Amino acid sequence: MRKIYLLLLVLLLFSWAKVPAQDTGSIAITNARIVTVSGRTIENGTVVIRNGLIEAVGENVKAPADAFVIDGKDLTVYPGFFDTNTSLGLAAAPRPTPAPSPGVEVLIQQASQQQQLQPSSSKYPQGLRPELNVIEQIRPGENQFETQRNNGITTVVTVLRDGIFNGQSAVINLAGDSVAKMTVRSPFAQHITFRTLSGGIYPSSLLGTFSAIRQMFLDAKRLKDWETLYESNPLGLQRPEKDKSLEALFPILEGKLPVVFYANTEREIIRALDLAKELNIKAIIAGGHEAWKVADRLKAQNVPVLLSLNFPKRTTAASEEADPESLETLRFRAETLKCAGRLEKAGVKFAFQSGGIQNYSEIWANIGKAIENGLSKDAAIRALTLTAAEILGISDRLGSIDKGKIANLVVSKGDILAKERTITHVIIDGKLFEIKQERPQPTAGQLAQQRTEVPRQTAQNISGTWSIVIEAPGQTVPGTLTLTQEGDSLTGSFQTALTGSTPIKSGRVTVEGSQTNSFSFSLDVTLGEATFEVTVTGKATGNQISGTIQTPQGAFSFSGTRNP
Amino acid sequence: MMKVLNLLALIFLTLAIFPSFLIAQQAKNQILIRNATVMTAARGTLENTDILIENGKIARIGRNLRAESGAKIIDATGKYVTPGIVDCHSHTMIDAVNEFSYSVTSMTNIRDVLNPTEIAIYRALAGGVTTALLLHGSANAIGGQSVTVKFKYGKPVEEFIIKDAPPGIKFALGENPKRSNFPPLPGQTPRYPRTRMGVMEVIRDAFLRARDYKRAWDDYRAGKTKVPPRIDLELEPLVEVLEGKRLVHAHGYRSDEHLNLMLLAEEFGFRVATLQHALEAYKIAPEIARHGAGASIFVDNWSFKIESYDAIPYNAAILWKNGVVVSINSDSDERMRRLNLDAAKVMKYGGVPEEEALKMITLNPAKQLGIDKRVGSIEIGKDADLVIWSGHPFSVYSRVETTMIEGEIYFDRQQDLAKRVQLEKERQELEKLDVNKAPASGGTPPRIPTEYRKDHHDDADEMPQTIFQGGDNR
Amino acid sequence: MINRILSTLTILFACYALAVSQTRNPDTDVTSQQIFLGKGGTFAITNARIVTVSSGVIEKGTVLIENGKIAAVGSNISIPSKAQVIDASGLSVYPGLIDSATNMGLSEIPLGANGTVDVAEIGENNANAKAVIAINPHSSHINVARVNGITTVLSMPTGGLIAGQAAVINLWGSTQASMAITPTFALVVNFPRITTFAGPGQQQIDFNEAIRRRNQQLENLKKLFKDAENYARAKEAALKDKSLPMPKTDVKLEAMIPYVRGERPIIFTAERERDIRAVAKFVEENKLKGIILGGQEAWKAADVLVKNNIPVIYTNIYRLPVLDDHPYDYLFEAPAKMQQRGVKFSIATGDGGSMVRDLPYHAGIAAAFGLPKEEALKAVTLYPAQILGIADKYGSIEVGKVANLVVADGDILEPRTNIKYLFINGRLMPLTSRHTELYEKFKDRKLEN
Repeated sequence: MRKIYLLLLVLLLFSWAKVPAQDTGSIAITNARIVTVSGRTIENGTVVIRNGLIEAVGENVKAPADAFVIDGKDLTVYPGFFDTNTSLGLAAAPRPTPAPSPGVEVLIQQASQQQQLQPSSSKYPQGLRPELNVIEQIRPGENQFETQRNNGITTVVTVLRDGIFNGQSAVINLAGDSVAKMTVRSPFAQHITFRTLSGGIYPSSLLGTFSAIRQMFLDAKRLKDWETLYESNPLGLQRPEKDKSLEALFPILEGKLPVVFYANTEREIIRALDLAKELNIKAIIAGGHEAWKVADRLKAQNVPVLLSLNFPKRTTAASEEADPESLETLRFRAETLKCAGRLEKAGVKFAFQSGGIQNYSEIWANIGKAIENGLSKDAAIRALTLTAAEILGISDRLGSIDKGKIANLVVSKGDILAKERTITHVIIDGKLFEIKQERPQPTAGQLAQQRTEVPRQTAQNISGTWSIVIEAPGQTVPGTLTLTQEGDSLTGSFQTALTGSTPIKSGRVTVEGSQTNSFSFSLDVTLGEATFEVTVTGKATGNQISGTIQTPQGAFSFSGTRNP
Repeated sequence: MMKVLNLLALIFLTLAIFPSFLIAQQAKNQILIRNATVMTAARGTLENTDILIENGKIARIGRNLRAESGAKIIDATGKYVTPGIVDCHSHTMIDAVNEFSYSVTSMTNIRDVLNPTEIAIYRALAGGVTTALLLHGSANAIGGQSVTVKFKYGKPVEEFIIKDAPPGIKFALGENPKRSNFPPLPGQTPRYPRTRMGVMEVIRDAFLRARDYKRAWDDYRAGKTKVPPRIDLELEPLVEVLEGKRLVHAHGYRSDEHLNLMLLAEEFGFRVATLQHALEAYKIAPEIARHGAGASIFVDNWSFKIESYDAIPYNAAILWKNGVVVSINSDSDERMRRLNLDAAKVMKYGGVPEEEALKMITLNPAKQLGIDKRVGSIEIGKDADLVIWSGHPFSVYSRVETTMIEGEIYFDRQQDLAKRVQLEKERQELEKLDVNKAPASGGTPPRIPTEYRKDHHDDADEMPQTIFQGGDNR
Repeated sequence: MINRILSTLTILFACYALAVSQTRNPDTDVTSQQIFLGKGGTFAITNARIVTVSSGVIEKGTVLIENGKIAAVGSNISIPSKAQVIDASGLSVYPGLIDSATNMGLSEIPLGANGTVDVAEIGENNANAKAVIAINPHSSHINVARVNGITTVLSMPTGGLIAGQAAVINLWGSTQASMAITPTFALVVNFPRITTFAGPGQQQIDFNEAIRRRNQQLENLKKLFKDAENYARAKEAALKDKSLPMPKTDVKLEAMIPYVRGERPIIFTAERERDIRAVAKFVEENKLKGIILGGQEAWKAADVLVKNNIPVIYTNIYRLPVLDDHPYDYLFEAPAKMQQRGVKFSIATGDGGSMVRDLPYHAGIAAAFGLPKEEALKAVTLYPAQILGIADKYGSIEVGKVANLVVADGDILEPRTNIKYLFINGRLMPLTSRHTELYEKFKDRKLEN
C-alpha cells in the first residue's frame, strides 16, 4: 500500500514533464514557421515526415492524407538541437566535464578507476586505452533522456570520461529502444583529457601525460607502417604485435577520426593545438571557455570548438573570512559570456554543448546570455544544429530541415530564443514526443528569483530532487538527492558520478523552525570493492539544503538547491 | 609660420628624394637610453653613456648619441643600466615540476607545461630577470627536457621560447633521486635507486640503452634491418646528449657525485654543461675546470639539508679563480627577484671583482645556456634585454625602474604604480556583475585565505623552506 | 608571592652567571678561551665614523670599550694607555645587529636530519618549553651569523598552539647561560587562524571546517589563559590563607603565569589583517603585553596596534606576496607603511638560523621601498632592542651600553660591505666560521694527479 502511495507521489511529482510519445507512420506540421537553417526561413509552410525522414518541406507542401497533422499555427519548427558533449545513456550518471587542470580529482579518479577496473588484454594501464568505445556501455531506452528532450535536445555526443584517453565517443539520438537504433554515428571521435594516472604510475604528472600521449601515437604509426610492410611481404620481418590500443589510434593517424581535447583555458587550448599540429591529427576543442583568446589559431588550424554552456559563475558563499577573488577569476567569468560572440566574429566554427551543467534548462538561459553578449541569434541556432552536425560529420543527415534528412525536429511556440520559451513537440527519428507544459520553463532571471523567493508551503516538506555539490578535498563533486518525506520519515536516493544511485535508509526529518527542517539518513556506498556506511545530516530551508556527509575518510560538507 | 613651412618643405624634400630611406628609418623602432652608468658585463662600466636600440637590438653604445625623431627617449641620468638577468635554474611558469614515476623521465618536456600567465614572471621582471632556464625537478636521476625562455609576460607562450637556444635536460644526483627525504606513501613500492651507487648506475644504464638505440637506428638506416626501430622518446634526448646536441644540467650537492658524473660523461664522450647547485664545487674546482662544465650555484644558501651542510659563500670565488664559468641561480620564484644582491655577495665573499660578479647573473649563465651571442651583456648587436636601476644594481637600496626585452618594456615601476588604481577600479566593476556575485544564500565554501605563497623549486613543493613557513597551506 | 620570589631568583641567577662570565680578568684569559669568548681588554676604536643609531652619526670619533661596556663615545675621547687601539680610518662602527625572530641554535639541518631539530614540541600547550634549554651553543649557524654583524637574536620555539618561551641571546659564549640575555623573554603563541593544514600527510581541510577549527582553537586558547589565571589566583590564595588547599602543580600553567598577568610579553604569530585585529582584541581583552610576529598586513591594522601598544616583528621581506593581485612590492613596502602609520616594528629574518646573516639586507630592501634608511637601520638595532626589552643595554652606541659593536668598511646594510671587527660583550671576536674554515681548507686546492 505504501509503495503504491509512493509511486503515485513520484508520478505526481513528474507528471508536469511526462512525455507521451507517439510513433506514427507519417507526420505533417502545417502552417508553421520553419527555420530550415540550411536555407531561408519559411514563414508559413509544412514539413512532412515519413519513415523517420523528412519527406517534404516547403510553402506549398500538402499534408499527406494518412498523416498525423499538427496544426502549426503560431508554432516554429527547428531542426533537432544537439548537445555535442555528454555522457548520456551510461549506466552510472557521469560527472560533469572533467576539470581541465592537473592535480585535481585524484581521489575521484582513483575511485572511478577501481570502479571500472575491467579485464583487458591491453598492455597499457587503464586510462591509456583508446580502444574503449562508449557504445558498448550505453543502455537502450528513451525514458532516461526526458530532461534533454524537454529542452529540445534530440541528438548528443556521448563519451566515457575516465583516464587520459577517454575512449571513442558516439553520436546518438535520444530516442529508440535499442542502441543500434539510437546510434547515428559510432565512433565519432577519440576524446583526450590532459590529466594524470593515479597510484604513482606513469604518467603521474602533466609532464608525463604529454609524453605518454605522444609516445603512443608514435608507436601506433610505427605499428601501422610495420603492418603494411608485413602484409606486402613478411619475409625477413618479425611479425608485428596485435596491439588493440595502438590500432585504435590508426583511424586518427589516417585522418578519419578526429580527437576531441578537453580544454577550457587559453593555455590548455594552445597545448591541444600544439599537440594536434605536431601529431598531424584532426582536433576539436571541447569546453573552450577561453577559445576567444586563441581564435586566430583555431581558425588557422581549422579546429572547431564544442563550446560549453556551463558558464563559470560564482558559487562560493560570501564570507568575511575569505580573501577577495582574483581579478583573473572575475575576468574569466565575465569574458566567458562573450566567447561565443567573439568566435562568431572571428569565423571559428563552434557548436554548443551542455558541459555537465547542473540544471539542464539553464542551457537556454545561457544561450540567452551569450546572445546578450554579442552572439547573433542565427549563429546561436546554427551552433545548436547545422554547425554541430558539420563538426560531427553528419550534416548530410542531420542539422537542418531538408528533404531526405533524418526527421529530428523541435516545435516551439514562437521563437525558441525568446525569454518565454515553450517547446510543444519534439520529433526524433520520426517519433513524436509531445511536451506537456503545465508551466512555462523559467528563464535564468526567473530561476534566480525562484531561488530567493522560497515557496512557503513547501518549507515543511523536503521532498523533491535536490542538486547538491559535495566538497571533497580539492574538488567539488556534484550529486543528486531525491527525497520523499512522509511525516517524519524520509526515503529516496543519493546519487553521484562515483557512487551511482544508492537508496537511503533510516531517513528522519525533524522540524527546526517555521521554514527549516533538519534531516538525517544513512546509506551504503560502494566504491570499487569496498562498501561502507555513510551518514548524512543536514538542514533544508525552502529550496536550500546543506549539511555534512560523514564517511570513513572524513566529513565532507555539501550544499545545494531543490530543482524546480 | 615660416618655420612650419620650412619644416614642411624639408619633409617634402626628404620624401621626394629619399622615400626608401624614410621608410627604413620608420621601421627601425628606436629607443634611446640617455646618460646612464652602463655596466656592460663585457667591457667594463661606462659613465654618462647612451644606448641606442633599434628593432630590439643594441645598435650603438656611446656618448651623445642621436636618435631619429619619434624615437622613444629614456632619460637615465643618475641611473644604472645592466643586461637583463639570466637565471640558470628556475621552475617558474610551469604547471608540473616533477614526473615522479620513473627514475628516468627524459621523455618529458617542460615545453609542454608552460604557463605564461604566472604572476611570478612579472615579479621576476620587477627584479630585473629577463631570461631563465626552466628545468624539470630533481626527483629523477635523469629528469625531463628543459626550455630556455625570455619572460615576455603578456605575450603568447611560443614567443617566450628562445628558439635558437640549445635544448637541455635535467639530471639529478643525491638525496632527491634517492628519494631519501620523501619516503614512499603507504602501499607504494619504493623506487630504485636508494643509494648514490644506484643513481650513477641508473644514468649509466640509460646511456647504454641510448647507445644501443642509436645503433639500432644506424643499422636500420644502413639497410641491415627492415623494420624501423621504435622512436623512443625516452632515449632520443639521450642520443642528443651523446651527440653533443643537448645540454646536461645536473643537480647535485656533493662534490664526489658531480665528479663521478663528469667522469661518466667523459666515458660516454660528452661534456656536462652545468653542475646545478654544486654547493661543494669548490672542493673539486680544478677538476670542474678541466672537464669544462659550468657551475650554476646558490650564492650562499646552505644547511637546509645534509647535502648542503658544507656549502660556503666562497664557492663562487674559488670556482672563478679556477677559471670555471660560474652563474648564480635562484631555484625559487622568491629568490629570483633579488639575484642582483646575490651577485653583490660574491664580491664580499672571496673578493670577486665587480664585473665578474655581474657576469655571474648575466653573461655567464648566458654562456652556460649557449645563448651568449644574443644575451648576457651590453654589446652592439645583442638583444636589447636591459634593466634600468635606480642606483647601483649591487646596492640594497636600488630598485628596478624598467626592464625591457628586445627593446620592449615588460616592467616599469611608474607604470606599475599608475596601474594599481586602474586595477582596483576594474575589480569594483567586475564584482558588480551577476556572474561574480555570491549566491544570495547557501553556496560552496570560499577558498581558505593563505599566509604564505608556495614557491616553485626543485623539490616541487615538498621541502619546507624555513621553519616558520613549514606546515602552512601545503 | 613565592612565585615572584622564585622568578626573581631565576633572573638574579642568570644575571650572576652573566656577570661572572663578564668580570673575568681579560688580560689573564687563556688564548683557547678566545675561540669561544673572543679577546678581552680595553679597546679604543679610533678615527671611525660612528653610527650611534640613537643620536646620529659622528663622522670621526672614538668608541672606548672597557669592562665589556661602552665607556666613551665621541670625537674628543682621551684614550687610556692600556687600551688596544684599533685605527678605524675609513671604517664605520655600528651597534651589533639584532634579529628579533629566529630559531637560532634549535635547527641545524631542517630536512633529513631530525636529530638536529628542536624547534617544535608536541602538544597544544608547550608553555613550559624553553628555547634556551635547547639552543645549541655550538651550532655552526651562530658563527656564520655573527661574522656578518649579527650579535643578538631572539630564538623561539614554534610548535603547538602555545609554542613555548623564546630567549634573547647574544651570539657569544659556549654555554646557554653565557649566551642568554633574557632566557625566558616571551611566550610564543601561534594565534589561531584559518588554515588548510591538518597535519603532515593529512588531507587538507575545507573552509567551514577550517573556520570551525580556528574558532575551536581560539576557545582553547582563551580557556588556557583562563586556567592559568585561575591557577595563579588559587595558588596565591592558598599561600595567603593556610586553610585553603594548594592547587596541584601544573608545569604548563605555572609557566604561563607571568605572561597571562601581562608581566612579560607574548609573541603572537599573525600575518593577515583579520588575524592581526583578532590578536589586538585578544590582547586588549586579556590585558596582555602583545607582540605581533609576521605582520604582512600589520599596516592595515595600525589603529588597533597603536591603540594597544602592540609592536610588530616583521619577517616578510624574503617572501612572495600571497595573492596574485597583490602588487609586486606588497611585502617590501609594508615596513614603510607601518612607519608612516606609527606602528612600532622591527625587521627580522624569521629564519631557522643558517640565513640569519642576511638580516641587514632584509632591512635594506625595506629602505629601497620607502622606509627611510635611518629607520631601516633602527629596525635591526634599536627597535628590536626596545621590543625585546633590552634597549637599556643594547641597540645603539651609547655610554654604558654593552659593547656589542661591528666595525665595517661601508654601509652595514649593503651586501658588498665587509665586517672588519666584531665585539660582543666588549670582547673582540675572531671573524671565523664554518665557512671561513672550509674556505681556507679548499681555496688553494690543486689537481691531485
